[in-house]
Amino acid sequence: MENNAKIKNIIQALGQHKDSDAAIELLTELGTNCPDDEIRELTAQALIRKNTHESLRVVLIHQGKGINDLSARVAMTAINELLSLKDKGEAIKILDDTIKLHSEEDVKNTARSVRALMTFS
Amino acid sequence: MQLGRISLHTTKALQANTQQNTANTNKLSTNPFGVSFKGNVIQADVFQSAKKAAEKVSVMQRGKLFASAVVGGINSFNEAFKTRMNNIVSFGKKFTADVIEKLDRIGSTEISFDMSGIANRLFPDRQYSVKNLSTKSVDELKAMWQGIGQLA
Repeated sequence: MENNAKIKNIIQALGQHKDSDAAIELLTELGTNCPDDEIRELTAQALIRKNTHESLRVVLIHQGKGINDLSARVAMTAINELLSLKDKGEAIKILDDTIKLHSEEDVKNTARSVRALMTFS
Repeated sequence: MQLGRISLHTTKALQANTQQNTANTNKLSTNPFGVSFKGNVIQADVFQSAKKAAEKVSVMQRGKLFASAVVGGINSFNEAFKTRMNNIVSFGKKFTADVIEKLDRIGSTEISFDMSGIANRLFPDRQYSVKNLSTKSVDELKAMWQGIGQLA
Protein backbone atom coordinates (compact mmCIF):
# COMPACT_ATOMS: atom_id res chain seq x y z
CA MET A 1 0.00 0.00 0.00
CA GLU A 2 1.35 3.39 -0.95
CA ASN A 3 1.88 6.11 1.60
CA ASN A 4 -0.85 8.27 0.08
CA ALA A 5 -3.35 5.43 0.38
CA LYS A 6 -2.38 4.94 4.04
CA ILE A 7 -2.84 8.62 4.77
CA LYS A 8 -6.18 8.63 2.96
CA ASN A 9 -7.34 5.83 5.24
CA ILE A 10 -6.10 7.71 8.30
CA ILE A 11 -8.02 10.81 7.17
CA GLN A 12 -11.13 8.68 6.64
CA ALA A 13 -10.74 7.16 10.11
CA LEU A 14 -10.31 10.64 11.62
CA GLY A 15 -13.47 11.79 9.83
CA GLN A 16 -15.41 9.02 11.65
CA HIS A 17 -13.56 9.33 14.94
CA LYS A 18 -15.49 9.68 18.18
CA ASP A 19 -12.98 12.17 19.58
CA SER A 20 -14.11 14.83 17.16
CA ASP A 21 -12.17 17.79 18.60
CA ALA A 22 -8.85 15.94 18.61
CA ALA A 23 -9.53 14.59 15.13
CA ILE A 24 -10.27 18.08 13.78
CA GLU A 25 -7.11 19.40 15.42
CA LEU A 26 -5.02 16.68 13.79
CA LEU A 27 -6.65 17.17 10.38
CA THR A 28 -6.00 20.91 10.62
CA GLU A 29 -2.43 20.45 11.76
CA LEU A 30 -1.29 17.77 9.34
CA GLY A 31 -3.91 17.55 6.61
CA THR A 32 -4.51 21.18 5.61
CA ASN A 33 -0.79 21.90 5.61
CA CYS A 34 0.13 18.89 3.51
CA PRO A 35 1.95 19.75 0.26
CA ASP A 36 0.02 17.05 -1.58
CA ASP A 37 -3.16 18.41 -3.23
CA GLU A 38 -4.98 15.11 -2.93
CA ILE A 39 -4.39 14.92 0.82
CA ARG A 40 -5.55 18.54 1.31
CA GLU A 41 -8.60 17.78 -0.79
CA LEU A 42 -9.52 14.76 1.32
CA THR A 43 -8.83 16.71 4.50
CA ALA A 44 -11.20 19.50 3.44
CA GLN A 45 -13.90 16.93 2.65
CA ALA A 46 -13.43 15.24 6.05
CA LEU A 47 -13.62 18.55 7.90
CA ILE A 48 -16.74 19.71 6.05
CA ARG A 49 -18.47 16.36 6.66
CA LYS A 50 -17.85 16.85 10.37
CA ASN A 51 -20.13 19.91 9.99
CA THR A 52 -19.11 21.44 13.32
CA HIS A 53 -18.28 25.08 14.00
CA GLU A 54 -14.56 24.38 14.44
CA SER A 55 -14.18 22.14 11.41
CA LEU A 56 -16.10 24.55 9.10
CA ARG A 57 -14.13 27.58 10.36
CA VAL A 58 -10.90 25.91 9.19
CA VAL A 59 -12.08 25.45 5.60
CA LEU A 60 -14.10 28.71 5.28
CA ILE A 61 -12.11 31.52 6.84
CA HIS A 62 -8.45 30.48 6.82
CA GLN A 63 -6.27 31.83 4.08
CA GLY A 64 -4.91 29.05 1.86
CA LYS A 65 -7.17 26.34 3.27
CA GLY A 66 -10.47 24.81 2.17
CA ILE A 67 -12.36 27.12 -0.18
CA ASN A 68 -9.42 29.56 -0.07
CA ASP A 69 -6.86 26.97 -1.14
CA LEU A 70 -4.45 27.98 -3.88
CA SER A 71 -5.28 24.78 -5.71
CA ALA A 72 -8.48 25.22 -7.70
CA ARG A 73 -9.10 21.51 -7.45
CA VAL A 74 -8.98 21.57 -3.65
CA ALA A 75 -11.15 24.72 -3.48
CA MET A 76 -13.77 23.31 -5.87
CA THR A 77 -13.92 20.02 -3.99
CA ALA A 78 -14.48 21.92 -0.73
CA ILE A 79 -17.25 24.02 -2.32
CA ASN A 80 -18.94 20.92 -3.75
CA GLU A 81 -18.78 19.28 -0.35
CA LEU A 82 -20.38 22.34 1.26
CA LEU A 83 -23.15 22.30 -1.31
CA SER A 84 -23.75 18.61 -0.57
CA LEU A 85 -24.36 19.18 3.13
CA LYS A 86 -27.89 18.37 4.28
CA ASP A 87 -27.65 20.88 7.11
CA LYS A 88 -26.04 24.01 5.77
CA GLY A 89 -27.04 26.23 8.69
CA GLU A 90 -23.67 26.34 10.45
CA ALA A 91 -21.75 26.87 7.19
CA ILE A 92 -24.00 29.78 6.12
CA LYS A 93 -23.65 31.41 9.55
CA ILE A 94 -19.85 31.27 9.38
CA LEU A 95 -19.84 32.56 5.79
CA ASP A 96 -22.04 35.50 6.79
CA ASP A 97 -19.71 36.36 9.69
CA THR A 98 -16.70 36.08 7.37
CA ILE A 99 -18.27 38.40 4.79
CA LYS A 100 -18.92 40.94 7.53
CA LEU A 101 -15.89 40.67 9.74
CA HIS A 102 -12.86 39.12 8.01
CA SER A 103 -9.86 41.34 7.45
CA GLU A 104 -8.73 39.77 4.17
CA GLU A 105 -10.62 40.95 1.10
CA ASP A 106 -9.85 37.80 -0.87
CA VAL A 107 -11.33 35.67 1.87
CA LYS A 108 -14.41 37.90 2.00
CA ASN A 109 -14.93 37.65 -1.79
CA THR A 110 -14.60 33.88 -1.79
CA ALA A 111 -17.01 33.63 1.13
CA ARG A 112 -19.47 35.82 -0.67
CA SER A 113 -19.34 33.64 -3.82
CA VAL A 114 -19.79 30.43 -1.89
CA ARG A 115 -22.59 31.98 0.15
CA ALA A 116 -24.39 32.85 -3.10
CA LEU A 117 -23.94 29.31 -4.41
CA MET A 118 -25.30 27.86 -1.20
CA THR A 119 -28.31 30.11 -1.35
CA PHE A 120 -29.23 28.87 -4.80
CA SER A 121 -28.39 25.21 -4.23
CA MET B 1 65.75 -128.07 3.34
CA GLN B 2 63.08 -127.38 0.82
CA LEU B 3 61.58 -125.14 3.37
CA GLY B 4 64.96 -123.57 3.69
CA ARG B 5 65.13 -123.10 -0.10
CA ILE B 6 61.71 -121.69 -0.26
CA SER B 7 62.60 -119.44 2.56
CA LEU B 8 65.80 -118.48 0.83
CA HIS B 9 63.98 -117.86 -2.44
CA THR B 10 61.33 -115.94 -0.64
CA THR B 11 63.91 -113.89 1.17
CA LYS B 12 65.69 -113.17 -2.09
CA ALA B 13 62.44 -112.25 -3.78
CA LEU B 14 61.54 -109.97 -0.92
CA GLN B 15 64.92 -108.38 -1.04
CA ALA B 16 64.60 -107.86 -4.78
CA ASN B 17 61.16 -106.45 -4.35
CA THR B 18 62.33 -104.14 -1.61
CA GLN B 19 65.22 -102.94 -3.72
CA GLN B 20 62.86 -102.36 -6.61
CA ASN B 21 60.44 -100.44 -4.38
CA THR B 22 63.25 -98.39 -2.99
CA ALA B 23 64.34 -97.58 -6.50
CA ASN B 24 60.80 -96.65 -7.40
CA THR B 25 60.55 -94.58 -4.30
CA ASN B 26 63.74 -92.75 -5.09
CA LYS B 27 62.53 -92.19 -8.62
CA LEU B 28 58.88 -91.21 -8.09
CA SER B 29 58.67 -89.61 -4.70
CA THR B 30 60.12 -86.46 -3.36
CA ASN B 31 59.41 -87.81 0.08
CA PRO B 32 62.79 -87.46 1.80
CA PHE B 33 61.70 -89.58 4.74
CA GLY B 34 60.68 -92.58 2.66
CA VAL B 35 57.47 -93.05 4.56
CA SER B 36 55.87 -96.38 3.85
CA PHE B 37 52.56 -97.86 4.71
CA LYS B 38 52.19 -101.60 5.17
CA GLY B 39 55.35 -102.17 3.30
CA ASN B 40 54.49 -99.94 0.36
CA VAL B 41 56.12 -96.61 -0.01
CA ILE B 42 53.55 -93.87 -0.21
CA GLN B 43 53.45 -92.70 -3.81
CA ALA B 44 51.70 -89.46 -3.23
CA ASP B 45 53.97 -86.57 -2.69
CA VAL B 46 52.98 -85.15 0.70
CA PHE B 47 55.17 -82.10 0.12
CA GLN B 48 53.65 -81.19 -3.18
CA SER B 49 52.88 -77.54 -3.67
CA ALA B 50 49.42 -76.06 -3.10
CA LYS B 51 49.31 -75.11 -6.76
CA LYS B 52 49.70 -78.69 -7.79
CA ALA B 53 47.01 -79.76 -5.33
CA ALA B 54 44.66 -77.18 -6.71
CA GLU B 55 45.33 -78.40 -10.22
CA LYS B 56 44.38 -81.84 -9.18
CA VAL B 57 40.96 -80.84 -7.81
CA SER B 58 38.39 -82.63 -9.87
CA VAL B 59 35.47 -81.02 -11.63
CA MET B 60 33.09 -82.46 -9.07
CA GLN B 61 35.16 -81.09 -6.24
CA ARG B 62 35.17 -77.71 -7.93
CA GLY B 63 31.41 -77.87 -8.16
CA LYS B 64 31.18 -78.70 -4.51
CA LEU B 65 33.53 -75.88 -3.64
CA PHE B 66 31.50 -73.50 -5.76
CA ALA B 67 28.25 -74.64 -4.14
CA SER B 68 29.85 -74.26 -0.73
CA ALA B 69 30.98 -70.77 -1.62
CA VAL B 70 27.51 -69.90 -2.81
CA VAL B 71 25.95 -71.26 0.36
CA GLY B 72 28.55 -69.43 2.41
CA GLY B 73 27.80 -66.27 0.44
CA ILE B 74 24.10 -66.65 1.03
CA ASN B 75 24.76 -67.13 4.73
CA SER B 76 26.98 -64.05 4.78
CA PHE B 77 24.34 -62.09 2.93
CA ASN B 78 21.68 -63.23 5.39
CA GLU B 79 23.86 -62.18 8.28
CA ALA B 80 24.52 -58.78 6.73
CA PHE B 81 20.84 -58.37 5.90
CA LYS B 82 19.83 -59.28 9.44
CA THR B 83 22.37 -56.84 10.85
CA ARG B 84 21.10 -54.05 8.63
CA MET B 85 17.51 -54.87 9.39
CA ASN B 86 18.31 -54.76 13.09
CA ASN B 87 19.89 -51.35 12.60
CA ILE B 88 16.85 -50.13 10.70
CA VAL B 89 14.47 -51.52 13.29
CA SER B 90 16.42 -49.97 16.15
CA PHE B 91 16.52 -46.65 14.30
CA GLY B 92 12.76 -46.82 13.75
CA LYS B 93 12.18 -47.56 17.43
CA LYS B 94 14.39 -44.66 18.46
CA PHE B 95 12.70 -42.34 15.98
CA THR B 96 9.27 -43.37 17.23
CA ALA B 97 10.35 -42.83 20.83
CA ASP B 98 11.72 -39.39 19.97
CA VAL B 99 8.52 -38.40 18.19
CA ILE B 100 6.41 -39.58 21.12
CA GLU B 101 8.63 -37.67 23.53
CA LYS B 102 8.35 -34.49 21.43
CA LEU B 103 4.61 -34.90 21.14
CA ASP B 104 4.43 -35.26 24.91
CA ARG B 105 6.47 -32.07 25.27
CA ILE B 106 4.20 -30.25 22.83
CA GLY B 107 1.19 -31.54 24.70
CA SER B 108 2.54 -30.18 27.96
CA THR B 109 3.60 -26.83 26.47
CA GLU B 110 1.28 -23.88 26.64
CA ILE B 111 1.24 -22.02 23.34
CA SER B 112 -0.28 -18.61 22.90
CA PHE B 113 -0.58 -16.61 19.70
CA ASP B 114 -0.84 -12.90 19.29
CA MET B 115 -3.24 -13.22 16.38
CA SER B 116 -3.47 -9.49 15.86
CA GLY B 117 0.31 -9.13 15.70
CA ILE B 118 0.64 -12.14 13.40
CA ALA B 119 -2.06 -10.80 11.10
CA ASN B 120 -0.38 -7.40 10.98
CA ARG B 121 2.93 -9.02 10.12
CA LEU B 122 1.44 -11.30 7.49
CA PHE B 123 -0.69 -8.54 6.01
CA PRO B 124 1.12 -5.28 6.77
CA ASP B 125 -1.50 -3.28 4.88
CA ARG B 126 -4.19 -4.59 7.21
CA GLN B 127 -3.14 -2.23 10.00
CA TYR B 128 -3.87 0.67 7.66
CA SER B 129 -7.38 -0.48 6.89
CA VAL B 130 -10.06 2.07 7.87
CA LYS B 131 -11.68 -0.52 10.13
CA ASN B 132 -8.46 -1.07 12.03
CA LEU B 133 -7.60 2.63 12.12
CA SER B 134 -11.02 3.51 13.53
CA THR B 135 -10.19 1.55 16.69
CA LYS B 136 -7.08 3.64 17.38
CA SER B 137 -6.81 6.85 19.35
CA VAL B 138 -6.10 10.18 17.65
CA ASP B 139 -2.63 10.22 19.16
CA GLU B 140 -1.90 6.82 17.64
CA LEU B 141 -3.22 7.98 14.28
CA LYS B 142 -1.05 11.08 14.52
CA ALA B 143 2.00 8.95 15.21
CA MET B 144 1.17 6.69 12.28
CA TRP B 145 0.65 9.65 9.98
CA GLN B 146 3.91 11.25 11.03
CA GLY B 147 5.59 7.86 10.71
CA ILE B 148 4.55 7.63 7.11
CA GLY B 149 6.55 10.77 6.73
CA GLN B 150 7.21 13.07 3.94
CA LEU B 151 3.62 13.78 2.99
CA ALA B 152 2.67 15.02 6.46
